[in-house]
Amino acid sequence: MIQASHISHFYGSEQVLFDLSFEIRSGEFLFLSGESGSGKSTLLSILSTLLKQSNGELFIDGTLIDKISNIDYFRQSKIGFVFQFHYLINYLSVYENIALAAMDDKKQNINKILEELGILELASRYPNEISGGQRQRVAVARALVNEPKIIFADEPTGSLDSKNSTIVYGLLQEASHKGTTVVVASHDMQIQDYATQIIRLKDGQIL
Amino acid sequence: MAIFLISSVSQGVIGMFSKMIKTDGDIIITQKGISDTFFSNVDIALMDKIDKIEHISSSYAMIVGASPIGHIPIAGIYGTTANHFSHYKLSSGKYPNEGEVILGENLAKQFMTKSINIGNKYFEISGTYSSDIGFEEGGVVMNIGDAGKLFNRSASFILVSSDSPNKIDEIVKKIPDLDSEIEVKTTQNFVKEYNQFKIIENSSFVISTLAFAMGLMGIASVMSMIVNSRKEEFGIMRALGKSRFFIIKNLFFETLIMSLSAYLFALILSLAILAMLPHIEMLQGYVNGTLSLSTALYVLASTLIMALLGSLVPAWIASKTDPILLINQGCA
Repeated sequence: MIQASHISHFYGSEQVLFDLSFEIRSGEFLFLSGESGSGKSTLLSILSTLLKQSNGELFIDGTLIDKISNIDYFRQSKIGFVFQFHYLINYLSVYENIALAAMDDKKQNINKILEELGILELASRYPNEISGGQRQRVAVARALVNEPKIIFADEPTGSLDSKNSTIVYGLLQEASHKGTTVVVASHDMQIQDYATQIIRLKDGQIL
Repeated sequence: MAIFLISSVSQGVIGMFSKMIKTDGDIIITQKGISDTFFSNVDIALMDKIDKIEHISSSYAMIVGASPIGHIPIAGIYGTTANHFSHYKLSSGKYPNEGEVILGENLAKQFMTKSINIGNKYFEISGTYSSDIGFEEGGVVMNIGDAGKLFNRSASFILVSSDSPNKIDEIVKKIPDLDSEIEVKTTQNFVKEYNQFKIIENSSFVISTLAFAMGLMGIASVMSMIVNSRKEEFGIMRALGKSRFFIIKNLFFETLIMSLSAYLFALILSLAILAMLPHIEMLQGYVNGTLSLSTALYVLASTLIMALLGSLVPAWIASKTDPILLINQGCA
């Protein structure tokens, strides 16, 4: 599903990733682990097409990312995101936040997903009117709405208690069981219980 | 709003004075080589000779001056020949005889006495008058003889009306033959060439241009700050697969709505202030505003252009940045 070939990245003159090559198969639940500053968030951003690597090639679903003419459509149709701080838009309701991400032919999925995640009753509420755990579940719903082939999650439980963390991991695992590739970057070693593949990073290199 | 008010007030001042002159005659006679009617001195006896010229229907003389009146530091004084009194619509009393004055309604509100002191001389108040022109509403009208003694001159200018509009140019050429010390112009040309108007126009142009430039820079900066504070949101939208075009299109309409709302608010507030100005006693009706359609449209166009530039340029730059960098910049 994802093939990274000789990926390196610089912030200015500082190199943060060093010649990384690996492959993630379809349906895997990949745990990208490492200390702060190891480069896991940068690698996740590159893998999810949110950041262009300085060197190397990235293939997703057999397509070389640098050759894609409409990266926005590619991202919307194939990739879902869950961020640490949920990044919901505060002036949009829960429903509208999910609708913003949904492609036209996937909008009918919104209520179904909200119901599956147990947050249908929050549909008309605004992000600042719900709890942190509920917001993160909304973020997961937003990531799932387009039935993406890959979900990327950067510290998805970083701001959650253990009960809500277990719920979010469960949701991601369920997506993985349905064939979605899940890539999670986190400090939280609890995720090892769910992962089918682990990549450990230190100082921008795979251990 | 500053743009509206500065432009409107300067246009209003010019408009009042030019209306005062234009509506009262076709030709104006002033002293030769004098740039301001305040300093002009024309022999009033000239009126008899002028009235004998063919196609002249009427003429009158005026002295325009300014002086402290009672406790008021300065007010306009209009000394005129009796045949011009009817220009001032009496609200009460009668037109003035020698030693008497009539007060404009705005000025009259500030005097409850029967007489007033002008230039260390007391005049009986014989009545009050109203006028559409703010300058006149805040002033005093008296006989030209009394004004002549106050300001030590015969007449500031003579205004002449003709019964044949197509003969006006011909009359303008004839009148200078009567006196070598006078200058004769059509009132339209006089208004166009009057130095005081040019000074007001030029200074108001400079002030309003500066206010305008500052206002426009302010609009562009505010819009730019708003866009920059929303980088995280744009980054999230890009991460969710929204195109650059989608983000810029939304921002375009948001800016349009915000700018139009701000413009309408400023326009309505300015119109309200301009409507109140003539009724503020302290200003004696001297400060008046005229907001022309061309000024309103010019401000509208400039506001929209600057607001759109101020928002779309940073949005375009942001749209070319990697989404994760936008999100991180937004968090910073």
